[in-house]
Amino acid sequence: MGVTMFKNRYIIPVLFLLFVIWSIIGTGFSIRDLIAGVPNLSNFIGCMFPPAWDTFVPLISPAIETIQMAFLGTVFAVVLSVPVALLAANNITPSKPVKLLARGVIAFTRTVPDIVFALIFVSAVGLGPVPGILALAIHSVGMLGKLYAEAIEEVDPGPVEAVEAVGAGKLQAVYYAVIPQVTPSFVASTLYRFDINVRSSIVLGLVGAGGIGFELIMAMRLFRYHEMLTILIIIFIVVMLSEWASNSIRAHVIGEEVLK
Amino acid sequence: MLTVNHLRKRLPNGKLLLRDINFSVGEGEFVAILGLSGTGKTILLRCINRLTTPDGGEIVLTDNGNPLNITQSDAGEIRELRRRIGMIFQSFNLVKRRSVIENVLIGKLGRIGMVRSLMCRFADDDIEMAHRALNRVGISDLADRRAGTLSGGEQQRVAIARSIMQDPCLLLADEPVANLDPTTAEVVMEHLRSISVGNGISTLAVLHQPELARRYATRVLGVRDGVIVYDGDARLSDDDFEVIYGCNDV
Repeated sequence: MGVTMFKNRYIIPVLFLLFVIWSIIGTGFSIRDLIAGVPNLSNFIGCMFPPAWDTFVPLISPAIETIQMAFLGTVFAVVLSVPVALLAANNITPSKPVKLLARGVIAFTRTVPDIVFALIFVSAVGLGPVPGILALAIHSVGMLGKLYAEAIEEVDPGPVEAVEAVGAGKLQAVYYAVIPQVTPSFVASTLYRFDINVRSSIVLGLVGAGGIGFELIMAMRLFRYHEMLTILIIIFIVVMLSEWASNSIRAHVIGEEVLK
Repeated sequence: MLTVNHLRKRLPNGKLLLRDINFSVGEGEFVAILGLSGTGKTILLRCINRLTTPDGGEIVLTDNGNPLNITQSDAGEIRELRRRIGMIFQSFNLVKRRSVIENVLIGKLGRIGMVRSLMCRFADDDIEMAHRALNRVGISDLADRRAGTLSGGEQQRVAIARSIMQDPCLLLADEPVANLDPTTAEVVMEHLRSISVGNGISTLAVLHQPELARRYATRVLGVRDGVIVYDGDARLSDDDFEVIYGCNDV
């Protein structure tokens, strides 16, 4: 009894510690390297100051491009995700093979990182924001499709049945009884994804998919460290602004729910 | 106008719920279905508009002199059939985030083309008809409210208005007042009767209170052990009670 309790209490922390040590050995992580790197790091950061304020205004337009990429990517993702989610939801799907196919699409698009999609599309359609938009749109289906499908599966079946009982078709039942029920949760998921896409679109710029991220990688390669800092400041502003915008929309939608 | 012969329905768990149901309903009758909980009264109703598929027997609906075999219908015919059969649910089943008037207009969906209904374009005549239907159940002032903000009694009246929009020949009511307080239940039953009598719509209502059946129905069907054990006057004697419910002090 005492031995079992000992085992139960310590087995997880011990395993955890072993896992940490195993990972440190495997990756060659060393504190010494880290300490040795501090002067380089401070030197690098020192090179960035002060920010090159004269580049601030010209960098606004790539920053806007980043937001536009994230926005369009999210819009296309919604257009793709709604039908996929309907086909993947247990209560709406027309048949089991279709459901499995839709779930396969969702799992695949979620598993493949957006940067991989971006690399593929950059080689297909060339540099610029278009491959970034496509990458965001497709990768987002993995998350939005899953969240939408879960919301659809939670709807009250009563109103759906009532609409079907008047002789309406399946599509009409979805439109009149399912969509109204899932709208609040769809809005919340979509705004959340938009926040993620704003940040992702910056990373996608690094592989040539346009926007402020592309400017960041160019500045880095050309050793324009002052410009880099300006770009980081702009990225900070962009992320804060987009989160503020989606928070106010969310508050507006949820507030509407409470009031009415 | 509605004839049910040898209707049989087995539950997914293998239990034979409806063994051999036989009855018919005439034009304009208000028939109450009584019986213990779990005897399949709701399933019986749902077989009639094919929300549930029966395992055997036949249901024939005669509308304007055309007999239609419900149990043989394919998907298209089932939709056709449902347009003429209104259904009232215990939990009202309104789309809560839509306005009252939109919920009433849902009653017309079966007769509107797919494209037009997806564009939310209802004809002016239909909108006017929806307002008249709301007026008929006494809640025309609530047309623009969200359905979810209404009280239970008001929601059930919206559901009745939705059925009126179908211009049905048969109305199925599945425990229409089970979720309502006694006073509100009276109002809803009164509306159901007024539509049944006023429009000559045959009504089949599953009820839990023999008292309501006595006051509103023209006839009672008692279901027990998968068969109809009572078919007759809505005023039940103590013996009738015992036949339906198994004891006379329910």
